[in-house]
Amino acid sequence: MSDIKIKSKNLNVYYGDKQALFDVNLDLNEKEVTALIGPSGCGKSTFIRCINRMNDVIDICKVTGNIEIDGIEINDSNLDVVSLRERVGMVFQKPNPFPKSIYDNISYGPKIHGKGETKNELDEIVEKSLKKAALWEEVKDRLNEPGTGLSGGQQQRLCIARAISVNPEVILMDEPCSALDPIATAKIEELIDELKKTYTIVIVTHSMAQAVRVSQKTGFFHLGKIIEVGKTEKIFKNPDNKMTQDYITGRFG
Amino acid sequence: MNFVLIFLITIFSLSLFFYGRSKTKSISVENNIKLNALPKFYGYYLVLWCSIPALVFLLVWSLFEPVIIKTIIIETAANQGAIFNDTNEANLIYEKIKAIHLGTYFGDIDSILKESAISYAKFINLFTNSKIVLIFGIIIASVIYSLKKIKNNNKAREDVETILKGLLFVSSLIAILTTLGIIFSLLFESIKFFSVINIFDYLFGTSWSPQKAFVRDASAITADEYEELKDAFGFIPLIAGTSFIAFIAMLVAVPIGLFSGIYMAEYASMKVRRVSKPIIEILAGIPTVVYGFFAALTVGPFFRQLGESFGLTVSSESALAAGLIMGIMIIPYVSSLSDDVINSVPQSLRDGSYAVGATKSETIKQVVIPAALPGIIGSVLLAVSRAIGETMIVVMAAGLAANLTINPLDSTTTITTQIVMILVGDQEFDSPKTQSAFALGLTLFIATLILNFIAQRAVKKYREKYD
Amino acid sequence: MTKEERLKKRHRAEKRFRFYGLSSIVVALLFVIILVNNIFSKGSSAFMKTVINVEVFFDPELIEIKNGATEDEILSADFFDITIETLLKSYPTKNIDEEDGLIDLFTTDAEIEIKKAFLDNNNLIGKKINLEITASDDIDQLHKGNYPRDLPEDRRRISNFQLEIYDNFVESNKIDKNFNNYFFNNGDSRDPELAGIGGALVGSFYSILICLLLAFPVAVLASIYLEEFAPKNKITDFIEININNLAAVPSIVYGLLALQILLATIQLPRSTPLVAGITLALMTLPRIIIPCRASLKAVPPSIREGALAVGASKFQSVFHHVVPLALPGTLSGTIIGLAQALGETAPLILIGMVAFVVDIPSTPVDPSSSLPVQVYLWSESAERGFVEKTSATIMMLLSFLIVMNILAVYLRQKFEKRWN
Ligand SMILES: Nc1ncnc2c1ncn2[C@@H]1O[C@H](COP(=O)(O)OP(=O)(O)O)[C@@H](O)[C@H]1O
Ligand SMILES: [Mg+2]
Repeated sequence: MSDIKIKSKNLNVYYGDKQALFDVNLDLNEKEVTALIGPSGCGKSTFIRCINRMNDVIDICKVTGNIEIDGIEINDSNLDVVSLRERVGMVFQKPNPFPKSIYDNISYGPKIHGKGETKNELDEIVEKSLKKAALWEEVKDRLNEPGTGLSGGQQQRLCIARAISVNPEVILMDEPCSALDPIATAKIEELIDELKKTYTIVIVTHSMAQAVRVSQKTGFFHLGKIIEVGKTEKIFKNPDNKMTQDYITGRFG
Repeated sequence: MNFVLIFLITIFSLSLFFYGRSKTKSISVENNIKLNALPKFYGYYLVLWCSIPALVFLLVWSLFEPVIIKTIIIETAANQGAIFNDTNEANLIYEKIKAIHLGTYFGDIDSILKESAISYAKFINLFTNSKIVLIFGIIIASVIYSLKKIKNNNKAREDVETILKGLLFVSSLIAILTTLGIIFSLLFESIKFFSVINIFDYLFGTSWSPQKAFVRDASAITADEYEELKDAFGFIPLIAGTSFIAFIAMLVAVPIGLFSGIYMAEYASMKVRRVSKPIIEILAGIPTVVYGFFAALTVGPFFRQLGESFGLTVSSESALAAGLIMGIMIIPYVSSLSDDVINSVPQSLRDGSYAVGATKSETIKQVVIPAALPGIIGSVLLAVSRAIGETMIVVMAAGLAANLTINPLDSTTTITTQIVMILVGDQEFDSPKTQSAFALGLTLFIATLILNFIAQRAVKKYREKYD
Repeated sequence: MTKEERLKKRHRAEKRFRFYGLSSIVVALLFVIILVNNIFSKGSSAFMKTVINVEVFFDPELIEIKNGATEDEILSADFFDITIETLLKSYPTKNIDEEDGLIDLFTTDAEIEIKKAFLDNNNLIGKKINLEITASDDIDQLHKGNYPRDLPEDRRRISNFQLEIYDNFVESNKIDKNFNNYFFNNGDSRDPELAGIGGALVGSFYSILICLLLAFPVAVLASIYLEEFAPKNKITDFIEININNLAAVPSIVYGLLALQILLATIQLPRSTPLVAGITLALMTLPRIIIPCRASLKAVPPSIREGALAVGASKFQSVFHHVVPLALPGTLSGTIIGLAQALGETAPLILIGMVAFVVDIPSTPVDPSSSLPVQVYLWSESAERGFVEKTSATIMMLLSFLIVMNILAVYLRQKFEKRWN
């Protein structure tokens, strides 16, 4: 059993007057993949965006309650979100490479954080990140071409490489495969399996099969509440809650 | 006279509307026919047939009448022995004849002038009478034609709509006509100008002083005279002055405009945005003559005094004052457009940057602006084209003498200033000086056209990328 | 550099960047305030004029008409002697120079003002009345505090003697400020105290009216064609390119167009609101078409389909349903276009509206000026009094523009409400 990396306590999120999360309590383990499932609009994205405080970008969004990473409260106005996000990377639903070269896409993060002082160091980081994202072989000869010219699956792996490049501890993935074809999806899933050796991973997914394949722990959200959390095997074989049962068997409605 | 005619045509058409409507109504009732269109469409039909041909004829006639009469009168005067060497003198004599006719001429009247004035009166009468006769002829013919068509026509609505659609189409053609008009009027005089001044001497000449250009006979210019003329019409100092002032303006407008645009798009709350955006746009709504007044009366003297206190000689018509005020006028052109452009950069790019831990300004500088760059460049180019075409600020606050200088405290002149200076007040017709204003206009027109074309392309390309 | 130092530095850069943005906006706003404040502080005094109270005696010796004379007789009568007598009596003088100095304190139109007072009350022969006569420009400016009286005498337009009279008048309460009716009623004049924007107002009104009558219908018809009927083909594309380019052509080019086509070829009368209106209409047309098309485009297709579904022809669906809905937006765009046209100066200068016109135009084919051109003309004049007149003209111009823009915003807001 691994240690708890992220802990949320009584987390409530509001968009203006509308409450999107209700008293969410959830523990995420270190170097493990946690999958979050649930019907759309139930607050999965809202939840993982709390972990790297991406909700700060949305004016009307208010967050109350606690989230701790390694026992340190991050939902604190004095906390520097810049260094938080350096530790907690994120991959989005739609691949969003910058309109720059592949090399610049990866080196952007290390550069702003002052991680690669020299060109050699940067080159090294770029190569390492791309290799970890299993993209190196495909792009090593065209690092100066724009990242937007890659295929969808490659773009998503580029975004994963971008997240890895600053050497985070946690990687959040918000439906990373929803815009990809099955082959590209399989590659990303393989990659996630590899990455969990180094990183704590939280993945939001719409596909039960994907949750089963990649995760060790699963949480089921419904209408902004966490309904059930547990080992993935247990959730999918023998859930405690009737609603979870209905959802995973596709009888939800 | 024309107003009376237009009035009559209108009245006549309107009465035909009621006639057409009631007539068709009664016909349909009497014969118990079901009409295919509402009776009022038969009314419209008659109105259109009655008014459009007559009005078009009136318009065309009025356009050509003065030119034709003028040619005839000058011709007859020449036949009677009036002597004039060039079109200028011919024009003068024609003006005299017209003035005698109107009774506003008080100079000496010789027999030729008197004869001509009499024949002028005759022609005016003749033209007016034939105009009236022809217009009534046209109206009668078209009314008869249309009445006949109504009788065995049950598609009045379709016909009316076809005609109206034609009218809509013609309205939209006015844009093309305007462009043609501009090109024609600029080219017409410019070609005359370039037949005297070699186009390369104009484009690459380094001295501009049209007041020195005096030509006795444009058709026979000696080599010596040409040497002098060439020096009067060198374009380089003007383009230099224009670019210099525009450059100063852009030094003011681009940073301020771009930063305001960025602030409004990325930082300002809805409230701040709602208030400050329209206030900044006020700057674009203030007439440029107001800026010119402010620049000439307040800013120019202020800079001169400021310069004096530092021991600098500052011209009170310095390029700096004109450029600064022009820059302020242009701020909203840069800020609004770049605000729009930045707003249309997709949020997902910003999210990607925040997610690796970039600050807001890093995201803006390294992700948002590079992504928006084509659009921003487009908006800057539009602003440049606005700056070089701007007239009143430079007429009032920049100098008149064409100095080749890069000292912003000195005075320089611009293309637009020179156009105004040449054409304001009395113009000698057919002199290279007057024509040069049109050549300058043509140059300006082409320059702004190119800039706008590139700018619109850039903005459009950019929009396509993210829409 | 440690990690903390680096972070601090980045946050400082963030603050600095934000500050640049905010200061840019502040600079722009500040300029609006400075400009408006500058114009208002210079111009507001022009709405008042300085008057000097004098006693007029209609001495039967000095005038050849009798009580009960007809209006024509009075108008053609000579009031010169009475005027001079009146002005000279207002302060004791010793020699001819001083007499001249005294007379120069009053407007050159003093005779007309006295005649008008006589006309208003036609039985004054042999009687005395108190009359307020407009002061000359120099005294006007002095009284308003715009004239530096501490300059040495040889650098002043006002002599020491004149200052003495002025101070005496002030002490004896003979000097007053009245509403400046001349500023609104008169045409241009070489004398600042008599110059007014009456002619320019009427000229601008006629020009804008003609511009509206020409540009609005054509713009609406053209927009309807392009938005609703135009087939997708080369001609339509060409028209669109033309409209976009025309909207960006510098206004002075329209002046050249007007000079060549309207004045030289068609020979319309120079310096008139007619030519100005046509020129402005050509210039404004593309600027109106663009917002007109946008508001037609904003009408949802369901409206068109609804009308077509009940058997209306395409024409009827457009003219009965779409156009009325797009009208507020169209009007708002037109008003903005007209506001721009109202402030336009350069093309009007080229068509000769800079001529010095004293008479107020009664028809659109009389020579005339316009508000912005009047600003240009007066700003070139040396007299001190024209500075306040120019600023006040700008105030008038800006007020019209503000009213027009508010109207446009109001219409647009009303329009936007409908689709929410
Ligand atoms: N930016 C936002 N503004 C307002 N409401 C939002 C915003 N983002 C999400 N919501 C609302 O919050 C709820 C949860 O959304 P989200 O977390 O995106 O759900 P999920 O990712 O599970 O589909 C939804 O009801 C959604 O409408
Ligand atoms: Mg989601």
